[in-house]
Amino acid sequence: MIADLTPTLTRFEHAVAEIDVTSALAVVDEALASGADPIALLTEVIGAAQRAVGDRWQRGEWSVAEEHAATAVATAATETITREVRRGPVTRGRVVVACAEREWHALPAMIIDCALRSDGWDTTLLGASTPALRLNQYLQDLGPDALAVSCSMLGSIPTARRFVEASTAAGIPILVGGPAFGSDDLRARTLGATGWAADATGAITAMRELPAVVQPAQPLADGPVEEQAALELNHGELVATLTSRWPRPDRAGSPELDPALAKDAVELILHALWAALLTADPRAITETAWWIRALLEHRDAPVALVATLHQEVAGAIRDYPLAATLLDDSWPSAERL
Amino acid sequence: MTGLEPAELGAYAVDEAGRIDDRPGLHEEIGLAMAGSLNVRRSVLQLLDRLCPEFADWAVVALTNPRTGGVQLYGGVDVTSVVKVSRRALAGQALERVLATGRSELLHVSSDDLGDGLTGLIPHQALRDQAAALRPADVLGTGLTARGTVVGALITVRGQGRGFGAADTELAEQIAARASLALDSARLYEQRSQIANALQNSLLPPELPTVPGLDLGARYRPALEQLDIGGDFYDLFQRDGEWLVALGDVAGKGVEAAVLTGRARQSLRTAAHFVTDPGALLAALNAVFTDDISHRFVTMICLRVRPQPDGGLLVDVAVAGHAPPLVARAGGDVEEVACDGAVLGVVPVAEYPVTTVRLAPGDQIVLFTDGIEEARGESGFYGQERLLELLGRYAGAGADVTCAAIEQDVLEHLDGRAHDDIAVLALGCTG
Repeated sequence: MIADLTPTLTRFEHAVAEIDVTSALAVVDEALASGADPIALLTEVIGAAQRAVGDRWQRGEWSVAEEHAATAVATAATETITREVRRGPVTRGRVVVACAEREWHALPAMIIDCALRSDGWDTTLLGASTPALRLNQYLQDLGPDALAVSCSMLGSIPTARRFVEASTAAGIPILVGGPAFGSDDLRARTLGATGWAADATGAITAMRELPAVVQPAQPLADGPVEEQAALELNHGELVATLTSRWPRPDRAGSPELDPALAKDAVELILHALWAALLTADPRAITETAWWIRALLEHRDAPVALVATLHQEVAGAIRDYPLAATLLDDSWPSAERL
Repeated sequence: MTGLEPAELGAYAVDEAGRIDDRPGLHEEIGLAMAGSLNVRRSVLQLLDRLCPEFADWAVVALTNPRTGGVQLYGGVDVTSVVKVSRRALAGQALERVLATGRSELLHVSSDDLGDGLTGLIPHQALRDQAAALRPADVLGTGLTARGTVVGALITVRGQGRGFGAADTELAEQIAARASLALDSARLYEQRSQIANALQNSLLPPELPTVPGLDLGARYRPALEQLDIGGDFYDLFQRDGEWLVALGDVAGKGVEAAVLTGRARQSLRTAAHFVTDPGALLAALNAVFTDDISHRFVTMICLRVRPQPDGGLLVDVAVAGHAPPLVARAGGDVEEVACDGAVLGVVPVAEYPVTTVRLAPGDQIVLFTDGIEEARGESGFYGQERLLELLGRYAGAGADVTCAAIEQDVLEHLDGRAHDDIAVLALGCTG
């Protein structure tokens, strides 16, 4: 069924903007009652509205608390669709859906869970930031046909690799996706995942094509793994050093950058380095640089701070040669910024 | 395998140039792969995946069900397939002998009695048809014996011109020796985990109900990451149009503490049949836990929530040795409820004074265990200060959002360090 969901999206976005759960659920209920495809509702309404929520936070229109409250509206809507979808029969095998540790965006995993359930998989959803130990327990207890992992934040990539190891050691294929995996399957392949999907629809297709049994993932290259581990171990110290130097408080005439925001930016860059080291994909760094630039621009901070951030990070990670090279090679040039 | 003449290795182990195929590692590889799983079905898949085509053209694993005497047949053309066969269907067949003695049986199948030749080791029509389609030469049944018991059999088939030689049978037995240990371990694990899960399910925090006028949220993180239960608990239930809410902490961590949380919750629910005043409830629980032989202390907050005609809520609060709840007003003010009482289970008779707070629409009351304030990060304890500040920022954001934010903030503060059990419950007034 191809129905135009634009009016539904407009009404849903309005309800999210007002943080009005009751109205949002009414919109979803109505759409389901009139026969809307649950997957289309997930991707074209909830997913689309959620991107707008993220944009609003980046533009400084919403506080983190407001962003979270709006996300809770989308979460409640997804739960409603999931309840509806769960009335259908299970026609395929069992899938565990999880967020890696440090991944607090539980909604994308919920959407994937709902989409796979609607395709007949018997899904078990583990919540936000699942430790590898807990995942392992579920893999052994349930013996699923596959594991699906959603990562929005680059900081969750190291645990995603541990998930790959846990899953493939037991022969269980692992499907990964989400913004942290980028726009193609390079990061997924390097990490040793069995499959990659761009979105919920892609996850349905990819899940059907996974093999029944996979070989244990190959070890990652020693050099990058050792540097990433060292960066992670010294993360607190690096964040403290960098936030004490960036942004420079003596910069005359520039509006004060919220210290929490500055810390976020520093954390993002360091996480991007982790991800670039483990996935051999320097685009993680480039994308993060542009993202920080957009954030600064929206918050009326000078975009020149992006260049100074690069200098400060380069100085702080001098002892990590691979990361330092990745950073220099992939940071957008000053002219482009 | 070294020292055997090429002829003894069987057709499959010698490549076209007549060299002995370098395959002695297959049984080791299978042993390693199966050790990666403690789940019976996944272990079987690890085995089947590596058997074909390396060792055989077709394979099935038969696992006995000690209770019924029947077998489950895993694999075939579709490695994920599972079919059941009754004990009766095995009677008098070669497979029954393999399962009884653990000794291998090799059947040579001639092209004109395909069906009969296969029946002995493949007791299932659809699977037999699959094997027959390969026009097989040999069917090999190998016992899976682990720790003194035959737990099943490995049934492998090779096509024409590639029958099993003596060395192949030997390799099958080496594979079976490793596979059966792994399968038996997985079976033991599965039995234990079924027991553990059944017990654990009765101790999981309850699912939060949808209550008109109330906005509820909660988060729970046990200290032992691989468990879903711990020494913290919360519960809520209805009595005569009012809601009783409890959140507490049994001294200690892990399973022993979790068992006691179940008893604490049950005691509370029983006591609430006779009295709903939170102070009287805690006094009753104190008496129960003082008598208890477990000698564990329990701290607890108990709330009685009374909806008012104007849409507000009156909340009666009593506390037993626990950090008092915080009230976060819609406007962003946060205050601690002034309330105190002795830890449960220490003194035989204790009194628990009740403090009543009023929640207007948008206000919420937040209950939490010491795993939050005492979460130790690089810069020290998480502390009450951070919690108060966060609650101010999340004023009006809703109970579930508030609990999710606290959980995330505390875990980020910990940054991967070990922590005590963490429980937080928020109850808001929606008007």
